[in-house]
Amino acid sequence: MLTIHQLVKRRGSRTILSGISFQARSGRVTGFLGPNGAGKSSTLRILLGLDSATSGEALINGVPYARLRTPLATVGALLDGSGAHRARTGRAHLNWIARSAGLPRSRVDEVLATVGLTDAASQRVGSYSLGMGRRLGLAAALLGDPEVLILDEPVNGLDPEGIRWIRTLVRERAATGRTVLLSSHLMGELAETVDDVIVINQGRIVADGTLAEVIDGHGTLENAFFALTTPNGGRVAQ
Amino acid sequence: MSAEVARPHSREFVQALAAELSKLWSLPAVWLTLGGSLILNLVLAAAFVSAGLQDLTGTPNALDIGLASISYIQAGYIVLGIVASCSEYTGGQIRTTLTAMPRRSLQLIAAHLALTIVVVPAALITATSGVLLAAIALGDASAPVELGSTVGILAGVTGYLGLTTLISASFGVLLRRTLPAAIVVLGYTFIAGPILREQTTQAKYLPDTAGLAMWFPQPGDASALSPVHGATVLVAWTLGAFVVALAVYRKRDT
Amino acid sequence: MRAITAELSKLFSLLSVWVALAIGMIVPTAIAALNSVSTRKEIALGDHTAVGIDMGYQELAFGVIGAIIIGVVAISHEYFAESGESGGGRQITTSLIAIPSRLRFLFAKATAVAMVSAVLASAAAIATMAAIRIVLGDHAPEIGSEDVPRLAGIVCYWVLTALLAFGITVLTRHGIVPLAILIVNTSVVTVTYLLTRLTSLAYYFPDMAGIRMFIRNLEDSTVEIAPLVGGLVMTAWVAALLIIAAIVFCRRDA
Repeated sequence: MLTIHQLVKRRGSRTILSGISFQARSGRVTGFLGPNGAGKSSTLRILLGLDSATSGEALINGVPYARLRTPLATVGALLDGSGAHRARTGRAHLNWIARSAGLPRSRVDEVLATVGLTDAASQRVGSYSLGMGRRLGLAAALLGDPEVLILDEPVNGLDPEGIRWIRTLVRERAATGRTVLLSSHLMGELAETVDDVIVINQGRIVADGTLAEVIDGHGTLENAFFALTTPNGGRVAQ
Repeated sequence: MSAEVARPHSREFVQALAAELSKLWSLPAVWLTLGGSLILNLVLAAAFVSAGLQDLTGTPNALDIGLASISYIQAGYIVLGIVASCSEYTGGQIRTTLTAMPRRSLQLIAAHLALTIVVVPAALITATSGVLLAAIALGDASAPVELGSTVGILAGVTGYLGLTTLISASFGVLLRRTLPAAIVVLGYTFIAGPILREQTTQAKYLPDTAGLAMWFPQPGDASALSPVHGATVLVAWTLGAFVVALAVYRKRDT
Repeated sequence: MRAITAELSKLFSLLSVWVALAIGMIVPTAIAALNSVSTRKEIALGDHTAVGIDMGYQELAFGVIGAIIIGVVAISHEYFAESGESGGGRQITTSLIAIPSRLRFLFAKATAVAMVSAVLASAAAIATMAAIRIVLGDHAPEIGSEDVPRLAGIVCYWVLTALLAFGITVLTRHGIVPLAILIVNTSVVTVTYLLTRLTSLAYYFPDMAGIRMFIRNLEDSTVEIAPLVGGLVMTAWVAALLIIAAIVFCRRDA
């Protein structure tokens, strides 16, 4: 379970997050939505110990990321791009990550097969397409078979088969009691995948509940999103 | 679901070291830089040997001539240190590194130790190859070189190149971009440093001049540092640079 | 014309270029000031030959590092954006869509580099000569009409070196190799100078030939090369390199 409690992030004179709190429960897929610049990435980065918060807490099973004894077995994260250096091969990238956690080499082959990159594994990451890079990042996230998955726009760059595959993977993991936090801009796709929804806008949480609760009365998730985050409900100016 | 199995710090460090070694091993730039430095060293050493044979004053010394090229080849090691550090900041790899190894001090120490492990043998091989080339090419023309001092000086060169690589790596961590870091370290080592050396005798406490004392002894200069003294000064500079880099690294947002 | 303006504004948007401008101005001026202080002391001790014919010009030869950085960074930043974000997009694709003719793109960029280097060289020359005059006062060498071709030589040397760096970087794409090689070669004892000990053909390397344009008293020189000839040799090298670079650039995938 992920717990964000009164998280504040200020950079210089800008306030990026003004005291947000929410939870992502185990056994459920939680969607994390917001316009660009709303603070989604900052929240995820603080959760993963990459950035420091001005105040507040971001806990994974009650513990801040920096204190996890076996981070890769607890959390698998997919952030921007592939997270890999362009001159290494895909396999070499996964190899060093596996070594850092003491995972066997066979695990690397397993995740490569899972994401469908076995053939491209010996090519340089620099030659990968956007979708292949995302799949490599996902393979890295799955290496430790983590209890928690944090995915930032995972379907970005994937073809329809990949999109469906992510949806299935994510639902399967939730079904086995794991936690999934998923951010995306594709409302239609998200509505098919998530159980709970959290909407963030300008550093504040504007909605937090089950999918049905958030949609309540708006019809679709997209309508609800625009109603919550824009002054004129998302109507395009004439 | 996997339970949180307690992993002692020692095991974690060894795994981090293995990961960092694996990173260096799989980065083509590391091999290109080390290989290129070895080849260029041999080429320059050959040039120095030719120049030495043409110089009719005094007997050429295989050790001096064989190592003369090191002053230039150190550029390769500087580049290696910088590129190794700055490679973390390409493609967002730093995020992967810090999520896999969240204890930043441990990870950075492991990274620099891995770099040392790779660089020391390479530097020894490079330095020795230059001296061997000079010894073979000069043959009988060379003044006799005694084994004891040779081993000492080769150790000095290896230590110098290793410490130089580590200082450069610390600059890479601080500046995060290869070209600016290269401009600073190379500009200092090849232009500012030598000029300062000529201007004041206090320059002997600066890293490059102190480092030079480790393998380029100047017996005629009474105020020059002894090799051991020079090594101590350079180690101090290296540690200082690392401490600063680590302090920034730990607090920095990625 | 618009393309050249675009390239100029791209250059000035880079931090590295501003750093290069600062280095180009500060390095020769500072070194000249330091050397002038030593010279003044020597004159006070009675040595009236202390003011060399190359005073000011030798220091300006070091400042060329600023021009090198500009030449390298102008093209390398099109290929490599080093930042924490994985972004992925390289500016080169945007640039080539904006100016489909690769030759015009390269020509506009080279022109921008040449223009900025020329202005930098002129400003650095003025600052350096002024510094010498301020420190040495009456003892400073007179600036007469014989100095005009030498000052023009400085500007040519900086511009041609910047274009040399530019051409090499077009071929290598990443700036680290040309930057390292050229900085090492700008050091107090350049690699090319060492090679002249080996063969007098080395006097015709671009930098060794180019400095003839403004250095009148090259130490231990066994070959005399007239300033104009030196300039032409350097120009020939640079032109050949730029032609090769243009051919490769126009034919390869972006």
